[in-house]
Amino acid sequence: MKQTILILGLLTSSLAFADPIDGYLQMLKEEVQRADPSFKEFSAQRGEKIFFSKQIGKRGKEVSCASCHTNDLKQPGENIFTGKKLEPLSPAVNPKRLSDLKKVKKWLRRNFKDVYKREGTARGKGDVLTFIKSH
Amino acid sequence: MKKRLLLTAMMTTLFAGTFLLWADDDRDDDRNDAFRYPAYQKQEKTSQRPTADKGRALFVRECSACHMAYQPEFLPKRSWAKMMRTLEDHFDTDASLDRNETAQIEAYLLRNAADAKRVYGDIAEIARGIRADETPQRISETRGFKKEHRKIPNRLIEQKEVKSIANCMACHTKADKGNYSERMIFIPNYGRWDD
Repeated sequence: MKQTILILGLLTSSLAFADPIDGYLQMLKEEVQRADPSFKEFSAQRGEKIFFSKQIGKRGKEVSCASCHTNDLKQPGENIFTGKKLEPLSPAVNPKRLSDLKKVKKWLRRNFKDVYKREGTARGKGDVLTFIKSH
Repeated sequence: MKKRLLLTAMMTTLFAGTFLLWADDDRDDDRNDAFRYPAYQKQEKTSQRPTADKGRALFVRECSACHMAYQPEFLPKRSWAKMMRTLEDHFDTDASLDRNETAQIEAYLLRNAADAKRVYGDIAEIARGIRADETPQRISETRGFKKEHRKIPNRLIEQKEVKSIANCMACHTKADKGNYSERMIFIPNYGRWDD
């Protein structure tokens, strides 16, 4: 009986978050709520601010996420340090985006450190992901 | 009967096609699939180690997510070993990977480093200039590299089409294939380079 409930539970939770990014967002949300029970939802508006805000980042250069990903997420970008061409970040025009959780986590860590010189907080990562998702 | 057979054949093709399309869903959009350095092919034919292939594929995929996957033959083993230990601060970027990926890429680099096998041509010339007491992390800071590029004016390097001396492909049009020959040089807003 216990086992059946467990399996059913696993099935429903995996159905609820068939998209691994949604599952990750839920996990981040619970992490934020543990520290701040009044927290409701991630916000694309706050994410947009994080995305476009300029910081003294990598190699002492003033940068934002948009420095490489451009102001229009539907457009291709370019790594301003190496010249490497980047495919659009918007999942609407580039369905490969936000499809691989391991990759998403790696680039969030990497790019937060490039721009903000620190890893993103659970709240910051959730807001930025929500912003990217909305494009 | 014939019609039915044709229909079945068409359905099968359609189904197989859909499956192939789905199966070809590349996990990595940033990888450089044009990486075919001849020396690697030769080595692969003789060794046929599945882990070696995986190491190379990972190396190309992860490194060329940000820059060309520089041929491991440019630097000695000690350089690559240090680089793989310090990925968390890789020229001011956190390039760290998971432990398994790091180990596989490092193994690939060490197997193909300048001092791991016989290396020929332009790459060997640069590698030969590295002294035993040096552990360079930038190929562009080696003696041989500097000598080869000493006549290039700064404006050609700093221009937006190039950005950095580390951007081999901006001028060496076949660099990702390990070809640095003069015939393959085309400098943006300058043209062919005749030394």
